Order: sequence, then structure tokens, then C-alpha cells
Amino acid sequence: MSSSNVSYTLRYFDIVGLAESSRILLTAAGVEWTEEHPEWPQEKPNQPHGRMPVLVEKSTDGSPDFVICESSNIERYLARTYGFLPTDLKQAALQEQLRDLMSDVIVLFTSQVQCKNEEDKAEFQTKFDGLLETLINVQTKLLKDNGNTGRLFGNKLSYADIVTYGFYMTMLVSFAGFKADIVDVIKPKLTPEIVKLISVVESDPLVVKHKSRGGSLAAIVSA
Amino acid sequence: MLSGSDTVYVLRYFDVIGRAEGCRLLLTAANASWTEEHPEWPAEKANQPFERLPVLVERSNGNEWILCESLTIERYLARVFGFMPTDLKQAALQEQMADQQADLLSAFFAQLTATGDMKSKQIDEFNTLFDRMVKEHGRILSRSSSKQHLFGDQLSYADISLYAFYKLFIVYLKCYQSDIAEIVKSKLTPEIINLILSIEKEPQLAPHFSKCDTMAAIFTAKDF
Repeated sequence: MSSSNVSYTLRYFDIVGLAESSRILLTAAGVEWTEEHPEWPQEKPNQPHGRMPVLVEKSTDGSPDFVICESSNIERYLARTYGFLPTDLKQAALQEQLRDLMSDVIVLFTSQVQCKNEEDKAEFQTKFDGLLETLINVQTKLLKDNGNTGRLFGNKLSYADIVTYGFYMTMLVSFAGFKADIVDVIKPKLTPEIVKLISVVESDPLVVKHKSRGGSLAAIVSA
Repeated sequence: MLSGSDTVYVLRYFDVIGRAEGCRLLLTAANASWTEEHPEWPAEKANQPFERLPVLVERSNGNEWILCESLTIERYLARVFGFMPTDLKQAALQEQMADQQADLLSAFFAQLTATGDMKSKQIDEFNTLFDRMVKEHGRILSRSSSKQHLFGDQLSYADISLYAFYKLFIVYLKCYQSDIAEIVKSKLTPEIINLILSIEKEPQLAPHFSKCDTMAAIFTAKDF
């Protein structure tokens, strides 16, 4: 499925943000890729939805650049193209639902941060805490049922593993900018199974050459 | 079609348009055997895999399979029933529209709940994103040959998702903000209104409108 005539540009800010899973997927896919950090907000009108990340796929066969956006859409496209999502529709959907749940947790976090009204803030905080707990329970059960190998499904690196790693990178590294003590709050909630997943993903032969600007997530969660 | 004729679906959700309209429309357009359940809430919360709704239950040959998350359910049904292109690039172009719509829904709630200085900032953000999305819908439509579908000449996931989105904003969200329907209607172009009304005339969707109103009566001559 991978072609040596294809290369990618990922357009985003020079931060971990919401793009780490895409960076890891591009690295794990073994394709040629670079990153661009467009002048912002000057380059806003030049992006399909006025936002980033944006993925540009270039081919040497003369076809026009293929451009897509929306972080989870970029992840699914790369995962399907390079074999990290199963072709079986049910198996793929079971992985995708985890990513959507993680998106919901992120939305609750940002809602809570943006809220200035103390009552609403507290309500969002309660919802965030509850959904994060649900997420951790779901992830931990899957990891246990899969033999506690640090993999959510099957026996090789999957889309679900990568986006889970990316999610915790967003929460613990990116969101530390909004909430200074977030590592102290979230780390105790992580189960050993999740800590193992983080370590297994980071040290996977396909991923290990990715040097995140966020540093080692495995080091953060096991310290 | 990748679903056996003995497969039945149950969509569990609240008895509102909410986040499930895309799922309902897909099951209807697919002519699937399906019913809806409205679980007692929050009594049934702990019995759902993610403690949330919607949930899709698929029953076939005595087996039961369960899926959560409205957008994952939509993409799964769209693929099973042939509304999503099999070409990965074409599928991604449709999926990103649904993701953009989800961003708009988040932005709606952000501006609704904002207070103080954040309120006008969030309202501006919502308006900017919405106007940009309408422009994008228009751009895609201008490249479509039929003008009654976003891609190709048949009902696709993108059409169904777009219809559900506009129905959400024009028919449902007034329960949160009374003027949102008028605000959104004023942003729509005649081409987009024509697309919305064409989608709801699709024969595959006819059974849906035996249970609820079309939006035709909402758009008067002066909207075009």
C-alpha cells in the first residue's frame, strides 16, 4: 500500500497539541514526511477549514496534491492507508470508537478551561473526571483482556495503540500549559496496563525513531 | 451490501434529534431492519459500554455486537451499507465534513455557556467557523454535477451527515438557544437550501418523514 513516490507534509503549530498521533502514524508508516509551521493567522484562509492540522499528500506521478484536515480524520486516513486499522469493518469500528471517546474527554477539558463561571467550571470538571475514569476503565479492560501486552488489540502496533499514546501526550504534555499540575492529577489515575501501553508504543521499532518535542511520555508516567 | 438479511439493529438513544439523527437516517436509507430504544436514564447508564448514548446493537445469527460513539456508528453504518466510498481519499473527504460539523456543535455549546469577555469571543468564533463551513459546502457543491448531492449522483454519507447537521441546528437546538434557527438560516445560500430540500426528497429517506416533519415548510420563498 505504501509507495515510494508519495510524500507528506503535516501543517501544524510547533507544539505537541493534537498532532502527535499523526506524527507517530507517519513515522510508523515509514513514509517520507516533513512538517510545516505556517505563519498564523496569516495562513488561516489557505487551509481547507481555516484550521490545522492539515495533511498534504504529494505524488510524483503528476497528480495534484491531496489535502485533508481534521486531526482524527488525518489519523484514520493514514491508519487505513498504511495498515494500522483493520480492513474488517467491525474491528476497525471498535478501534475508532476509542478515539472518539478520547476526543470527547479533550472537549470536556477545554470546555472546563475556557469556562470563567465557577459553577459551570465545576460542572465541566465533574463531567471530565467521570468520562476520563470511564475511558481509563475501558482501556484497562481491553489491555487486560488482550493479555496485558501493552497492546489494545492483537499482537502488533495498531491505530488504537497510537492514538491512545497521542491522547496521553496531549493530556500530560500539551495541556500542562493550561493546568500546571495536570501530571500530578492524572498520573495517579493511570493503571499499570496503560503505563505499559505507553512504554510499549514509545519503544516499538516502528515508532522509536520519532523524537517528540514533548520528550518521553513513558518517562513522565513511570517516574 | 455487507449486512445479512437476517441482521437487525437497535439504536439506543434519547427520544430527541440530538446526536443520533445521522444514525437514524443511515439506517432508514439502508432499508435496514431496525428499531429504536430509549433506555431509562440514568438508570441504564452503567449498562452501556461507555456509560453514554447513542449505542448501536447489531444482532445476527444469535450473536450480538455493540458499538458506541455517534460518529463511529455513522461511519460504520455508512461503510456497511455502501454510503461511504471505498476509495480511501474519497472517504476521507466525506469524513472530514462530519468532523467539521462536530467542531461546529462544540463551538455552539462553547458560545452558549460562555460568560463575561469570553461570550462575545466564542460567538465570533462560532460565526466564523459556521460561515467558513457554509462556504466549504458551497465550494464542494459547485464542483458536483447534480447540485442535489455533494459527491457523485447518489445519496452519500456526506449528504446524510449534512442533512442531519442542518436539521440539528434548525429544528432541535432552539431548545438550548431560541434564536439559533434564524441565525443559521440567515447564513445559508439558496444552493445549500436547495441541497437540503433535495436530500429530504430522496426516496430512500421517505420512511423517515412518516415519523417527523420535513424542513420544506421552514424555508419560505424569501430564504431562496
